[in-house]
Amino acid sequence: MIRKRLLVILVLALSVHSIQVNAAEEREPYDDRYCTTCHGTDGRGNYGVQAPRLAGMEAWYLKRQLENFRSGVRGTHPRDIEGIAMRPMASKLSDESIADIIDWVGSWEYIPTEVTIEGDETAGAQLYAQCASCHGQNAEGNEALGAPALQGQNDWYLVTQLKNFKNGWRGAESGDAFGAQMIGMAQMLSDDDAINNVVSYINTLGRK
Amino acid sequence: MTRLVTRREFLNLLGTTGGTAAALKAGTALGLLPATGTAKALDLLALGSNNKKVAVLGGGLSGLTVAHELGKRGYDVTILEASHRCGGRIMTVRHGDLIDEIGNRQYCEFDDEPHMYFNAGAARIPSLHSNLLAYCKELEIELEVFVGENNNAYLQDDAMLGGKPVRANDYKTNIRGFLSEMLAKSMSEQQMDEPFTESEAESLLSIIRSFGDLSEGDLYQGSFRTGYKSGGFLTHGVQHDMIAFRDLLAGQMGRRALSAYEGDYGPCLLQPTGGMDNIIAGFLRKVGERVKYRAMVAAIQVRDDGVEIAYDQDDVRHKLDVDYCFNCIPTHLTVGLDHNFSGDYVKALKYVKRGQAYKAAFQAKERFWEKEAIYGGISRMNNRSSEIWYPPHGIHKDKGVILAAYDFGGGMYHTMMSQEERVEAHLSDGEKIHPDYRNLVEKPITIAWHRMNHMLGCAARWRTSFRGWTAEEEELYHTLQAPVNGRHYVIGDQMTMHSAWMESAILSAHWAMEDLDQRVRAELA
Repeated sequence: MIRKRLLVILVLALSVHSIQVNAAEEREPYDDRYCTTCHGTDGRGNYGVQAPRLAGMEAWYLKRQLENFRSGVRGTHPRDIEGIAMRPMASKLSDESIADIIDWVGSWEYIPTEVTIEGDETAGAQLYAQCASCHGQNAEGNEALGAPALQGQNDWYLVTQLKNFKNGWRGAESGDAFGAQMIGMAQMLSDDDAINNVVSYINTLGRK
Repeated sequence: MTRLVTRREFLNLLGTTGGTAAALKAGTALGLLPATGTAKALDLLALGSNNKKVAVLGGGLSGLTVAHELGKRGYDVTILEASHRCGGRIMTVRHGDLIDEIGNRQYCEFDDEPHMYFNAGAARIPSLHSNLLAYCKELEIELEVFVGENNNAYLQDDAMLGGKPVRANDYKTNIRGFLSEMLAKSMSEQQMDEPFTESEAESLLSIIRSFGDLSEGDLYQGSFRTGYKSGGFLTHGVQHDMIAFRDLLAGQMGRRALSAYEGDYGPCLLQPTGGMDNIIAGFLRKVGERVKYRAMVAAIQVRDDGVEIAYDQDDVRHKLDVDYCFNCIPTHLTVGLDHNFSGDYVKALKYVKRGQAYKAAFQAKERFWEKEAIYGGISRMNNRSSEIWYPPHGIHKDKGVILAAYDFGGGMYHTMMSQEERVEAHLSDGEKIHPDYRNLVEKPITIAWHRMNHMLGCAARWRTSFRGWTAEEEELYHTLQAPVNGRHYVIGDQMTMHSAWMESAILSAHWAMEDLDQRVRAELA
């Protein structure tokens, strides 16, 4: 019985595949370069759909995140609303498409982001001392430690991600060692005010 | 033990709301006719030799309306459309079409026949949407009747009658009968006749009796309105059994069964023959040469003397300098462009929420609903797939395309599923009405508007409270409706207080063009 079902699935899979191949020649073509629909002009980030800035993002970090989304290491927790939206976008990307997207993103010019979060920068500076050990004094990131740059990222996105880490909505999947690390760090931020404070401090670091 | 409310107590409860007499006094019905019903002629100045350039951002219905009307008056219009097609949420899916959902792209595999299509977005034209109908007439778009309400369609609720589907006719006739009986009894007991004269009371009683098809003694004892159990033509008809009122009250279908076909949704509805996007095709016959496809807007910089647009096409960034810009890009996507809008304007753009409507369709291998005396119309289920629509076109042909799910308000439930999970959900929901459903349908398509490329949302949501618009929402709305420097207009159904309708998109375009017209007349005077 099981074998029969497997056979049916195999036949179905083959027939679907052949339809797509035959159809592709005459049908409306598409490629995987659709990032800017959500992430805004030249990947500047779009608050309107809560899609973060890609311009200026390190290639190694972008690659890791796209792979995490693709494999389900990120974007699976039901409370990670934006991650859940992103996951199907990445789930069908091939290695070649990911490489192409990284090239494309690398061609976008970084433009300073708008400040939307208000907080106590002085209190935030003290909190940031913890973050600096991985993300750098100027939030410039550290590839060796797997820590991305934070400076220049949309502040509303940083707030969302810190909350997601703190609540275990991001980083709790097995296979996400860096995410697990971030859960521990984010839980040291006691409340929403602390999150706003540290993000408002990151906003002062600018981008070199 | 639950205490039962007697009929008298129930009627007293109604009486304490004290509405009847007030409603009678307020009956100045002639002054209450809706504003819709007659298309308004647009009085716009023809430019003559005065050259004015216009950019229309987005080839949705509002944008095409602007292009068509301003084109007629001598404006030099360019339409920038990000996707491979015009129409936005006026989208008809046919054999071979691409459904460009990001992360779940599909090609439609329906048979290649004129009646085998699915209106994935706009699907009904109310008779009172006169401006849309006027364009259909002007653009020679053939229309036919769309059947929404069909008494032979089904209602299904797991909590009612053991989950067995009931014909809408049975449900409504029985509900009306029981309601009428209660009302008629209250009349005969002189509970309600105080505000009426004797002849009014008599007239009201006769309305109540005929509303519920009451028998002698003002009792509801079932009705032939539900059709015949047997006979009826060559022999005397035998009446259907009554359904117990209490059994109907166990379900949640009452509100939907009795109000689903009112207002905009009421008969008579229309649809273009061959698909809703024939409306778009009609506009494109006039302005099609003005459209640049796969041209994605990157920047909108409003200057004192015009608007600088940048757009990406064929991997090249192009510039377009115009005098005026009409923007029907969804607000949540405009936010992510390179723009120089003010903080207040951006705040309003950011405020509008993305609609989440979701639809799905199947090709039916045979028109099984017609064997159950259903010709067009909508069955409704108390589950997440919610509705099944039977096509009013292609009657008695071999196959048809049916709507398998329509969730206007909470579409994220299905949107967040994989394609396989979505299809399985609709199959298992639908087979509660049609037991052999799973074997009768094939070639599914799903339309998750929240994820459709270049739209990322269905009808805009301004209002956050069911009570109505807040003062802040009114203010934000008017901030966004007002043109920037008299040069950049946000248009579309998103820029109305009645989103999701084609008529709304057209009226937003008319409002913007009339505003522009005043400015142009003043400038040229």
